[in-house]
Amino acid sequence: MYRPGGGLLHRTPAGPKLLTVMALALAISLAPASPWLLAGAAALVLGGYLLTGLGLPELGRQLWGLRWLVLVMLVPQAVFLSLPAAAVNVTRVVVVVLLAALVTLTTRTEDLIDAIARALGPLRRFRVNPNRIALMLSMTITTVPVIAGFATQVREAQRARGVPVQPLAFVVPLLVMALKHSDDLADALTARGID
Amino acid sequence: MERRRPLDMRDVTRIVVFAAILAVLGIPGAISVFGGAVPITAQTLGVMLAGAVLGRWRGAAAVTLFLALVLAGMPLLSGGRGGAGVFVGPSAGFLFGWIAGAFVVGAICRIGSRQPTWWRTALGCFIGGALTVYAVGIPVQSLVTRLPLGETAVSSAVFLPGDLLKVVIATAVAMALWRAYPRAFGAETAAAPRPPAARPKTDASVR
Repeated sequence: MYRPGGGLLHRTPAGPKLLTVMALALAISLAPASPWLLAGAAALVLGGYLLTGLGLPELGRQLWGLRWLVLVMLVPQAVFLSLPAAAVNVTRVVVVVLLAALVTLTTRTEDLIDAIARALGPLRRFRVNPNRIALMLSMTITTVPVIAGFATQVREAQRARGVPVQPLAFVVPLLVMALKHSDDLADALTARGID
Repeated sequence: MERRRPLDMRDVTRIVVFAAILAVLGIPGAISVFGGAVPITAQTLGVMLAGAVLGRWRGAAAVTLFLALVLAGMPLLSGGRGGAGVFVGPSAGFLFGWIAGAFVVGAICRIGSRQPTWWRTALGCFIGGALTVYAVGIPVQSLVTRLPLGETAVSSAVFLPGDLLKVVIATAVAMALWRAYPRAFGAETAAAPRPPAARPKTDASVR
């Protein structure tokens, strides 16, 4: 999702960028409908994509990624509202989503995670330890492949026995293996004095 | 009521592991119903299970942790979606609804922090995992897409059969897990009588 680059948006720090873009996206999303506002927002998004140095091909790729969203949104809108209103609404949502996607395109996941963990700093007042949240975020990233491995293991074990894979016979063993892994992980962390 | 106690390392890793399970349930083909004839996204199933197994606070924490990683740009939602865009799109409310949903599932499943029963789990999964998620998701969707509330609700009704199926699966999974690995449910249920030992037929741990 992240595309490396050296443009202005890539160099802007993650936290302020996320906040600014999300506030803008929210404002456009909730502002009263006006063709001028929509045109201005579209120009802003176009300018943003040109500013990243990734240019129009990336904008095209992002638009293509939204084709299902457009389709799913357009059908009920066209049925219940008039076609022009539907077009305006779909355009606004696409513009807003493309705007927010600028953050993801120009910021490394690690930087965003650091920014999120830092933003939670004031929670210290409520006896929540921000360092622990940062630890949980990075632990989750390393745990996803482990659990995905368990899922493959369960599926292969059932295929080997010729049992058709049913949801119940898949999820229960997956959960037992995952939660046993969780206890092992806790023991390992406690043994290393991380608390 | 669930006893408030500080998080120990076991809770931390349980929350982490459930956030990872939510991610794995988004991988296409993770779950196949009727031999793969009906493709269902299993992530709401994960939300129901997080609440039912971890309880309200820890369940909501696991969903929040998962969504924080999605916000940070990891493509963990089903269909490989992720990034800041999904939090301003039409389905943003459903994502926030997951947090509230897991909380409500946990609150109903653990009333009196007794041992889970199938009817309380089913009720919790339905009210929390389906109704609460709709209650947050549909108004937000209506706000974002400017389609009036009633019409949005009608067009969201297509998800109801799938969600009812997930309520059934989540309840069956939670009850089977209670028999197979009661420790998973955490220290709050330690006072509850342990379930009868799982029959060998349950086949809980495939190693």
